[in-house]
Amino acid sequence: MILVVAFLVALFLLAPILIIIPMSFSTAVSFQFPPPGYSLGYYRAYFTSHDWLDPTFNSFLIATCSMALTMLLVVPASFGYVRHRFRGKSLFNLLMMSPLIVPHVVAALAYYGYLGAVRLNGTIAGVVLAHGVLAVPVAFLVVCATLKGFDRNLERAAMSSGAGPLRTFFWVTLPVLRPGMMVAALFAFLASFNEAVVAIFISGRDAATLPKKMYESIRLESDPVIAVVSSLLISAVLFGVLLSVVLRRKPANVP
Amino acid sequence: MAGQLTASLPAAGAAAPARAAEGQSVPWLLLAPATLALVVMFVLPIGYVLLLSITDPALSIAHYKRIFSVPLYTRVLFNTFTTSLTVTVACLLLGYPVAYVMTRRSDWVSTVLLMCVAVCFWTGFIVRTYAWLVILGNKGPVIGIHQALGLGPPPRLLFTTFSSTLGMVHILLPYMILALYSVMKKIDPNLLRAAASLGARPNASFREVFLPLSLPGVVNGGILVFTICLGFFITPILLGTPKDMMISQLINQQIEELLAWGFASAVAVVLLVATSVVLAVYNRFFGLDRLWG
Amino acid sequence: MARSRSTIFDRRRLLKTGGAALAGATLGPLLVTERTVAQTRTIYVNTWGGSWTAAEEAAFFKPFTDATGIRVRTVAPVSYAKLKAQVQSGSYEWDITAINQAEWLRAEREGLVEPIDWTVVQKDKLFPDAVFANGISYCALGTNLAYRKDKFPNGGPQSWADFWDVKKFPGTRSLYNNAPRSAIFALLADGVPRDKIYPLDLDRAFKKLDQIKPHIKVWWTQGNQSQQLIRDGEIDMMAMWNARASELAAQGLPVELVWNGATVGITMWGVAKGAPNRKLAWEFIQFAVQPKPQAEFCNRLYYGPTNPKAYEFVKPEIAKQMPTFPDNAKVTVPTNVEWEATNVAKLQERFTQWLAS
Repeated sequence: MILVVAFLVALFLLAPILIIIPMSFSTAVSFQFPPPGYSLGYYRAYFTSHDWLDPTFNSFLIATCSMALTMLLVVPASFGYVRHRFRGKSLFNLLMMSPLIVPHVVAALAYYGYLGAVRLNGTIAGVVLAHGVLAVPVAFLVVCATLKGFDRNLERAAMSSGAGPLRTFFWVTLPVLRPGMMVAALFAFLASFNEAVVAIFISGRDAATLPKKMYESIRLESDPVIAVVSSLLISAVLFGVLLSVVLRRKPANVP
Repeated sequence: MAGQLTASLPAAGAAAPARAAEGQSVPWLLLAPATLALVVMFVLPIGYVLLLSITDPALSIAHYKRIFSVPLYTRVLFNTFTTSLTVTVACLLLGYPVAYVMTRRSDWVSTVLLMCVAVCFWTGFIVRTYAWLVILGNKGPVIGIHQALGLGPPPRLLFTTFSSTLGMVHILLPYMILALYSVMKKIDPNLLRAAASLGARPNASFREVFLPLSLPGVVNGGILVFTICLGFFITPILLGTPKDMMISQLINQQIEELLAWGFASAVAVVLLVATSVVLAVYNRFFGLDRLWG
Repeated sequence: MARSRSTIFDRRRLLKTGGAALAGATLGPLLVTERTVAQTRTIYVNTWGGSWTAAEEAAFFKPFTDATGIRVRTVAPVSYAKLKAQVQSGSYEWDITAINQAEWLRAEREGLVEPIDWTVVQKDKLFPDAVFANGISYCALGTNLAYRKDKFPNGGPQSWADFWDVKKFPGTRSLYNNAPRSAIFALLADGVPRDKIYPLDLDRAFKKLDQIKPHIKVWWTQGNQSQQLIRDGEIDMMAMWNARASELAAQGLPVELVWNGATVGITMWGVAKGAPNRKLAWEFIQFAVQPKPQAEFCNRLYYGPTNPKAYEFVKPEIAKQMPTFPDNAKVTVPTNVEWEATNVAKLQERFTQWLAS
């Protein structure tokens, strides 16, 4: 009985998403389901349109840069936070977590005004700065958790057998921590790639991201190409999730 | 950045043999970049909103007075609150059975359910909101079935409180399930077995043992969903109606149509305070770290 | 409002230092590429999207690029608030907009308008009355009652009074989310003669709007959205831009356009104050108001050319569907630009509040 309920809910989660994939092969000019006919027309439209390809490129660029920024901020901070005691530690934690506490729409409004003042609205740099900071909490949580689970005796063993601190860091610490770091980086990347609200407010014309373009296309144009983009994104997610299941051969630890 | 990392390593290394010394060194270099970035790129912008809310167009608290005295705006606040509550309860009712089954089964069932949840979780808000536009639209499957069955004029589905609530439930349900699951999977199955061996019926052992132990997950999931919902932007704007505005819609409208920065900022501050109060209460009893753990 | 905003941006300048320092340190190279990209010969035009942009592309952008090598990119949607925001913040998304005359006059009064560059624009290439408030007139656009013929086999609504009559004409309704248009329709429905509409009696208009509000399913904001609503059968009757309805009819949809009680306004070409590509922008505008391009646009989109010479190139069967066609003009309400420019801000705020209450 409860099994049936659980599967019904899972269907409720999955079905609306899967419905989009046939939509992307539709011939209809509007959001019609089931589609009246099938063609690749909107795929061609997507792959030949600057209006869609530019935001796609921007999204990858911004997500990559902001991931790098997030990791550059978070990795040292996590080492400092986990391995040292200092005054104001809980305040520091609160600071690192603050982007999770503040609703995105508030942050978006704030960046819109603030970045506008320094002429960074509508630039890749502006969006990268905002996204890089917004992804700090998630990455910080993951890296800290990894560090807390790290057995420092490994480092001590390396040191006592004559390795310098540098060698120890690169040959012992880093390899052990790498999976955790990769997960943190992936989360940071996806946080930026999927982020819509801040991007809608600040990414403007030249730095428009894919979510912003999709949002506008729904609001302004009802452009069926959005079904293509959505299907591509869904396929990527499906692929990623299946891959993680296959690789682990056990219930995936995602997310 | 790498230089800073290695520069601090000798300190950590030296401290390592003598554990007592570890607490003494203040890792400024490690903490400085993140602190600077968060202050300059987060605290200051938020502070700027705070400032605008009382200084634009003139130094006064008139915007706040307006929010709490004009019936329209108090209704927006109330509406946001009740919608968030509805979404939270709906997510809980739908999510609990899924998380329960995921915990109690260790075979393919659990894997399949987790995959469904994960796919949904990682698909962006916009994509999922778009899906609901299709499903509830006039040429969508729901209306189609309705008409095929000859049930009379099609009901109004899209651009209603119903459609935005449904969309938000769908989008936030994975958060709820994952929050519940992460608590439930830590419940020792032996406890349930012990209860059974002491003669408890399955229902009773669920009620007396499992349910109470899963409550922290309920609280975590509830707070998570509720606070996200309070400031939810995309879905209410694309699926909802201006008649039942939520706070984020009000902010968007004030900026997009009226350029009323001061008032929009004041509304944003009210939203921020409301969210902070909820989280502060949670922090008081549970500690914030557990929410995102 | 304008004054208060400038003080904000003064204050904002104080915050510059910190943000810029951090940005410069980490992302300097990226910033530079952004700037250099913007220096290629490209102008950005603010458009309504959908078929509006498609018609502009064919009639103006492509021929202009072919003739001059200047690329044209578009940004949607047209918005007064966006014009104001970008002039005040100095980060421009577009150089040129095409906005209705009343909004343009309001913009000029608020200092958001770039004066016509007479070193680029040649006066003798313009037509009489082309220039208004430092903009150049583009086309006449009607906002009409339109309905699905198939939903009303015994005859559809023929006036705004019929639109308000939900008993005689049951069906789903939609209106344009635009304060002055909606107020005018309400007054017409309430029996105000079309030559006595201005100055708008707002209390009377809102009282009448109260009656229809529960029956309005969607307040649309974008032309494409309005077309989609009626194409998908979501809406049976609505206020719609004349060309958008005619376009659907031309595509074979059973859509009927009513000229009785339509509002007609002139759309202006104009340049945002301080826009980075203003010289090229004026070159483009001069190109776009010549008879042939204007006629080309209006042949595709049924709006009325403002350049009298353009009518030489307009097909007669299309001219009949334009707001400027004499039989149509007789029954429509032309915009009182002066009144709207003065009152639209207040009216819009009231309308926005009313919509949400």
